Amino acid sequence: MTAVAETAGSFGHEVERSGAPLIDVEGVWKIFGRNADRIVGTADAELSRGELRAKHNCVAAVRDVSFQVWPREVFVVMGLSGSGKSTLVRTLIRLIEPTAGRVEIDGRDITSASQAELRELRRHTSSMVFQHFGLLAHRRVIDNVAFGLEIQGVSKAERLRRAEEVLTLVGLDDVGNSFPDQLSGGMQQRVGLARAFAVDPKVMLYDEPFSALDPLIRRDMQDEVIRLQHETGKTMVFITHDLPEALRLGDRIAIMRDGAIVQLGTPEELVGSPADEYVANFVRDIPRSHVLTLRWIMRDPAPGDEDGPRLDVRTTVRNAVPLIVESEKPVCAVEEGRVVGVVDKEAVLTAIAGESG
Amino acid sequence: MAVAQAAGRLAAPPQRRWWRGRAGLVVAIVVGMAIAFIGWRNQVVWPASLTWNALAHHLDSFQVWLSDHRNVPHPSVFFRGFNGLANFLDNLVGWLTSLFFKLTWAGTTVLGVLVVLRFGGRRAALGTAAAFLSFGLMGLWESSMRTFALTLASVGLSLAIGLPLGVLAGRSDRFQRLITPVLDAMQIIPAFAYLMPIVLLFSVGPGAAVVTTLIYSVPPAIRITALGIRGVPTNTVEAAAALGATRMQTLFKVQLPLARRMLLLSVNQTILFALSMVVIAGLIGGQGLGDVVTSGLYSNPALALLAGAAIVIMAIALDRATEAMANRTDPAHRHLTEGKQRQLRLFTLGCAAAVGLAAGLGNALGAGSVWSRWTGQSWLLRQVQSALDYVQNPDTFIFHITNPIGNFLVQYGLEPLRSFFVELPWPAMTFGLALIAFLISGLRPAVVTLAMFSLIGLTNEWTQAMDTLSQVLVATVLTMIVGIPLGVWAAESNRTRRVMRPILDVLQTLPQLVYIIPFIYLMPVSIVPGVIAGVLYASPVVIRLVEAGVREVSPHSVEAAGAFGATRFQTLLKVKIPLAREAIMLGVNQGMIMVLAVVVIGGLVGSGALGYDVAQGLQQSLFGQGVLASLAILALGIALDRVTQGRRRRRLEDLA
Amino acid sequence: MKVRVGGLIVTALAVAVALTGGSAAAKSNACGTVTINEQAWAGSTANTYVVKNVLEKSLGCKVKISKVAEVPVYQAMADGKTDAILEDWGHVPQWNQYVTKQKTVVRAGPNGVKGVIGWYIPTYLMQQHPEFKTWKGLKGKETLFKSPESGSQGMFLGGDPSYQQKDKTLIKALGLNLKFVSVGAEPAQVARWEQLYKQHKPVLFYWYDPQYLNATYKLSRIQLPPRFKGCLDDEKQGGDPKKYACEYPSYTLLKFMSKKFATSGSPAVGVVKRFSWSNADQNTVAKMIAGDHMDPDKAAQKWIAANKAKVNVWLGK
Repeated sequence: MTAVAETAGSFGHEVERSGAPLIDVEGVWKIFGRNADRIVGTADAELSRGELRAKHNCVAAVRDVSFQVWPREVFVVMGLSGSGKSTLVRTLIRLIEPTAGRVEIDGRDITSASQAELRELRRHTSSMVFQHFGLLAHRRVIDNVAFGLEIQGVSKAERLRRAEEVLTLVGLDDVGNSFPDQLSGGMQQRVGLARAFAVDPKVMLYDEPFSALDPLIRRDMQDEVIRLQHETGKTMVFITHDLPEALRLGDRIAIMRDGAIVQLGTPEELVGSPADEYVANFVRDIPRSHVLTLRWIMRDPAPGDEDGPRLDVRTTVRNAVPLIVESEKPVCAVEEGRVVGVVDKEAVLTAIAGESG
Repeated sequence: MAVAQAAGRLAAPPQRRWWRGRAGLVVAIVVGMAIAFIGWRNQVVWPASLTWNALAHHLDSFQVWLSDHRNVPHPSVFFRGFNGLANFLDNLVGWLTSLFFKLTWAGTTVLGVLVVLRFGGRRAALGTAAAFLSFGLMGLWESSMRTFALTLASVGLSLAIGLPLGVLAGRSDRFQRLITPVLDAMQIIPAFAYLMPIVLLFSVGPGAAVVTTLIYSVPPAIRITALGIRGVPTNTVEAAAALGATRMQTLFKVQLPLARRMLLLSVNQTILFALSMVVIAGLIGGQGLGDVVTSGLYSNPALALLAGAAIVIMAIALDRATEAMANRTDPAHRHLTEGKQRQLRLFTLGCAAAVGLAAGLGNALGAGSVWSRWTGQSWLLRQVQSALDYVQNPDTFIFHITNPIGNFLVQYGLEPLRSFFVELPWPAMTFGLALIAFLISGLRPAVVTLAMFSLIGLTNEWTQAMDTLSQVLVATVLTMIVGIPLGVWAAESNRTRRVMRPILDVLQTLPQLVYIIPFIYLMPVSIVPGVIAGVLYASPVVIRLVEAGVREVSPHSVEAAGAFGATRFQTLLKVKIPLAREAIMLGVNQGMIMVLAVVVIGGLVGSGALGYDVAQGLQQSLFGQGVLASLAILALGIALDRVTQGRRRRRLEDLA
Repeated sequence: MKVRVGGLIVTALAVAVALTGGSAAAKSNACGTVTINEQAWAGSTANTYVVKNVLEKSLGCKVKISKVAEVPVYQAMADGKTDAILEDWGHVPQWNQYVTKQKTVVRAGPNGVKGVIGWYIPTYLMQQHPEFKTWKGLKGKETLFKSPESGSQGMFLGGDPSYQQKDKTLIKALGLNLKFVSVGAEPAQVARWEQLYKQHKPVLFYWYDPQYLNATYKLSRIQLPPRFKGCLDDEKQGGDPKKYACEYPSYTLLKFMSKKFATSGSPAVGVVKRFSWSNADQNTVAKMIAGDHMDPDKAAQKWIAANKAKVNVWLGK
């Protein structure tokens, strides 16, 4: 009996959700337009996008969004173009000012912070990686990486030293003296990553960082982010429009549509029980067995079931299939040493059958 | 499928009004105007009851009032303030001038060359040396140094005022909206119109000349700087903010360095604009080459041409030198070690010593402040004069070609067009143009157009304005036809750019009368010389802005097009030009402004109408007439801008 | 360190200027510095440089030349930046403002030159059409002067916008089938009629004397109706065109000085006041300068050498 370690997602790390959340977002709104602040809290806030535009010439980009992110968690916000996800991530550090709502990061109220406090937050607590890299074309790579430290006023020798370290961390040891336009897109984004890591933030924000890269590089970069997260244990808020990417990276995923969150949950919750037709359509093409774990398809153990082969409850169905197929008896799903459920062949077949629906 | 439906609903296009942008309707309106012309030609003139005839008189009284209150033994604080400013500027220019004279011609030359050498490199220094040499050889040393001092002061002040304001306009939409009409006015209202008030406030002399120059050269500094700041990629500015940069840090570490190329263009344009005012500056005591040009036009055209050439040489030399100095000091390319820095410091000290030595030796050996021996002036004058004699001789074969062309153009093209505009019943013109503005640009621009034309009628300038309008339209269309393709070509080909650059510099700074008057000998008709002057003056600006815009297009987008197998031409047409749209629109707008800016020059060479009225306004002390004619020019400019600006789509958000 | 080097250089320069500045101390003589204004045309260059050379050579004055346009120069005199102008063509509004009202500028008498403005045609044309001696002869023959701009009418070439003119109204008053065509400033107008002259074609234009070109080209003046009392010359006054139907007045060209200069006690004041010469004198010097492209100082000195008697009168001898 072995507890196979192929668990859900590729992270396989535990997120402690018992303490206070690192990021606490409550009722955040962003409406663009002249009378934005007069709309929140009134009936007009419920109007559809088109109606709101016609009536007030305003656009509600983010509607009443609330969520929490715990330390070491990878929180993904997913949605199509126009869903408001990029606006949302910018309101977290007030690159765009929220119209209403509250954001707290590391216990500090961001929305009511002064400019000086906000700057402190941006310098030491958070950092961001951008879709189009946002590098300084007139500076060398090493200076780009050290830019955040330069803004903090760190001495030149010190910040160049730290920049070197981080470049090694992202695997770009020998391009320090090159200029950004001499590098490929993937390497430029690694420089962006390095710059974000160099300031040693608690929270890292990613705004569709791989959308501008080609698919093969995208996968490598996802691996890179996973590896870096393992090594450094940073908390991440990750924006993407690519569902497989979200499922691959996220501990929890929030799906946005027209500015509001439609469903927030773990990848299995999304795939296993989509909240509405919209989400269901989204996840339709995802092979469920790759995402769902044993927890999803197990049943209560009947007497006598406890002596079958054992697997961790977080093992994905797909990874569990070989053992289940081999074994005569139903497989026991184990959590922290205790058997919490049992999986038999029918359950697996049903799960797989549901994929082609 | 539901996702697709959802996506479809998200992307529903806004309702399009059926009449928007229909070219056919525009043509129909023009046809309607033509019918009105044929039917009611010259019968419906702007009603006298709707004109404010006394306005000119009131303005004249205002000027008299200014004069009376200025020339009292104890003028008020208001005037003393202006006097103080004028004195400060006079002294600034005077200090620079006496510096150049006290160092003697030797010291000044060495100073100029070594400064450029130290900061700009050998090549630029050679150019500077050649420029100084040419001033001496042409026998125009003293005038050149006076103009140089005036220009340095004007450009320095323009940049000191313009760059910060440009940065502000680049970062704040509201400020830009507020300041744009002011800048338009500053560039369109002819200097002739406000020359007398400037004299009454600042007296005559270099100080007043600097002020006049500033009014003209600050707007390009502001505009192009703003364009550069806005052109910095959004993600890069956001990255700086996300890293916790203060606004100053973002400005100095990110926006300004990345806007470098545009900033350089704005310095270049400021220099050229400042030098193009040299002749007008001469009318109010600016001294220097401007005076030589003006009197030369009346009694010694060859000398006027030489002085014009000196102005051009100064412009080009200054421009190349500042560019070299800016490039050399570019932090991105500067890898200075400790040793090198020490070397440079020693070099600087050495240069300073050399200047002192040259000045000392010069003074000791009696070199004098002005180089006046062994000039080639008489020889040069003879060569130029013989060229002029050839041009002015109606027996040459060139004349037999150009004269008939000119006559034909005027008789069958420009004069009929002028009649059409002037004699068209005013409702047809006003409402016709307003309708076209509505079709192309929307309701607000149409209302503005209507208001502007009413203003023109109100100030009793209708026939004059229509006359000028016909010419301005011809000149603008020609400028676009010439300027946009050349700008694109220059963006695509480095060689073209290199060849064109000095030509453009010449066209922007050579005082126009200097080459237009000889041109009149070849084509002795009215209107054409004025139109040519407009086209030649406006094209360089258009070419430059279009070129800069197309070049600035992100290489990634170009790369993307290439990856799809687009040919060079397709990339140009489908990617570069659309992406450079903002710069091209600025080029169109500036080109039109430039054409309007030389309406007065046109008036001096036969275009008549508003230009003539403005010129007469200054010189016959008809201040009111000059102001009203200038206002009419401004009104035309605003109306034309609104008609052509297109629908400015306001993006409420930039969601991903 | 960088700042120090820069500061060192600036200090050195300032010291250099200060040291050598001492040498520019004015040569203490009774005259001092006199600033005379020169206008763009050759006639003005002529009288300005002649007076300049007289003041420099005979009185040891230091003469500076300012080049401010005709109207702003009055403010320049009021501010003491210009001391004298030697040729004014009747800028009455400026006289009223600066001389009569503010008293910042004073009269300095006539300069002896009589300005004559009128309608001119080439002499060869006059020989072909002797009836053009008076304006009446033009009637019916206006199409002779047709140009691309004038359509079916004849072209009248107007003068520089800064010159006094009333030709638009005059044409209407005389009932002539002419179109007033303004071709711009004087250099442009000269270009037009010069080209037509060289081709021996007819041309009718506004012209005047003294003008150096009159020595080069043979031009004849057309007689306009004689002056009557109350005849108007300023078109901007409006009114019945008939009131303008007369010859241009003969202009006595006047000199003006700044009050400051006039009361300075400088010997130059008297010379300026007494300066006076004839149309022929002015045209001669002007031709040397503009026609023969002689250096203005040299041209002035040449004339002075040949006219010692006149100069002595100015010097009060």
